Amino acid sequence: MIRFKAVGVRFGATEALADVSVTVETGVLCALVGPSGSGKSTLMRLVNRLIAPSSGQVLVRGADVMAQPAPALRRSIGYVMQSIGLFPHRSVAENIATVPRLLGWPAPRRKARVAELLALVQLDPGLATRRPAALSGGQAQRVGLARALAADPDILLMDEPFGAVDPLTRRDLRAELRRIHAETGKTILLVTHDPEEALELASQIVVLRHGRVVADGAPAALVGSTAPAFARALLGGEQPGLRRLSLVPAREALAAAPAPEGAPRLAAGASLADALSRMAETGAAVLALEGEAGSLRLAAILERGR
Amino acid sequence: MRAIAHPWLAPLLLAALLWALAFGLAGVGALPARRLAGLAGIHAGLALAGVVPAALLGLLLGVAVTRKMGRPLRPAADALAAAAQAVPPVVVVALAVPAMGFGWGPVVLALLLYGLMPVLRATVAALEAVPPDALLAATALGYTPFGRFREVEAPLAFPLVLDGLRVALVLGVATAAVGALAGAATLGTPIVLGLQNQNQLLVLQGAAATAALAFAAEGVLLALAPSARGVSAGAASARPEAVGQAKAVEYKAVE
Repeated sequence: MIRFKAVGVRFGATEALADVSVTVETGVLCALVGPSGSGKSTLMRLVNRLIAPSSGQVLVRGADVMAQPAPALRRSIGYVMQSIGLFPHRSVAENIATVPRLLGWPAPRRKARVAELLALVQLDPGLATRRPAALSGGQAQRVGLARALAADPDILLMDEPFGAVDPLTRRDLRAELRRIHAETGKTILLVTHDPEEALELASQIVVLRHGRVVADGAPAALVGSTAPAFARALLGGEQPGLRRLSLVPAREALAAAPAPEGAPRLAAGASLADALSRMAETGAAVLALEGEAGSLRLAAILERGR
Repeated sequence: MRAIAHPWLAPLLLAALLWALAFGLAGVGALPARRLAGLAGIHAGLALAGVVPAALLGLLLGVAVTRKMGRPLRPAADALAAAAQAVPPVVVVALAVPAMGFGWGPVVLALLLYGLMPVLRATVAALEAVPPDALLAATALGYTPFGRFREVEAPLAFPLVLDGLRVALVLGVATAAVGALAGAATLGTPIVLGLQNQNQLLVLQGAAATAALAFAAEGVLLALAPSARGVSAGAASARPEAVGQAKAVEYKAVE
């Protein structure tokens, strides 16, 4: 668990963060979003003491970070950054094994772990002996992710991790992250300026502006009509209604009345946006849902778009 | 790449040629070969006695002024090194003799001052060329400041530092000839003798032998240097690094 308690950060005369109180529960993937200079990276860097709070407290696993030695704290928290920062003089395997080596793991254990991680991030084991200069952008970012995960930290910090790769690779990496999060149940803090990325990956979103928290909640709530206007505009884009529908499972609008014979059927995991799209395609105002007895009606869907 | 696969070859060949010339002159009235070889040995020792402390001091200062705490000292260190470089070694020797007497003392001082700047400049430049994102990553992964210096900063800076050390050594070997003015026996001795006695052969012999030693020093260091196996600062994949720099700028703006 990560808890910010009334945290403020000043850099000289500039106030980077003011009175930020946020709690990220264990196992949650929390996205920090906001425009450039809103303080989202600063907020994240408080967690591993890359930045010290000027006021307030940052608790990691219940303990104040400032009361812990920085190197030990940082070794217990994975860190991925946009510029990756692989060590150019070390091989891929050595890069990945950095934290295990700092923790004093014996060589055979490190070697086994590197092999495991290369498999986890789906990299060719033959790359292990290469230097970072010989990698593509996507491969380098996967190595960066593997390096962050090397000592199996329960907390992972990701500072715009997919910003510098092409859109296709970014999609793959996002899927990878979702899978790894689902498999390992780590607490992940993700800084991103891409609202779609935040909505797609996160179960909690914190919206920052001018160093203050504007909104903090579940993705669907932050694009709904009750969300603060800034958060809704940032996350919802041009079509906040559709965004919200895409975040709500179709099951939630299910009515008890059975669907008429021959109504189009939706897959079990579909969202309300999928339902609306199917209605637009077929002209049917009532749908059936795979594995459910009830029916989906247009009015019920529209109701949940707000 | 093939042409520079053995960068030490040319300086060592030149050294051999010049050495042969200096020895050949021994047969036509210049200093005998044994004496010349003896002077070369002393010359090398004197050069090292000046260059080694210059290198140590330059490295130490270079590392110190690139640390957070030492950064305010940077202008002072730069000024010191520039001033030390600006005074010709001959002048240092001439000024130091009254204070330190004849012999190695004034020469070592002159060489130390002369060698300081190339080492300091190279060290600072090399440390500043270490990719900032690699340093940030090292900190974020939990290196201690010393661990980060030893395992990330120093190895990445080393090839460029070595260039500075080589320059200092070659300068030192070439300049040690002025030791003859302070009464230290060096390869400058035949030059001074030749000038006093209007014997051009002696001057030529001393000059050739000094140059041979300087080229040899260059060649030996080039041969000892580890090949730059993609270690240079720019070797990190270019695109993410550019982004990293943009990011660093953004952070500066926040600060």
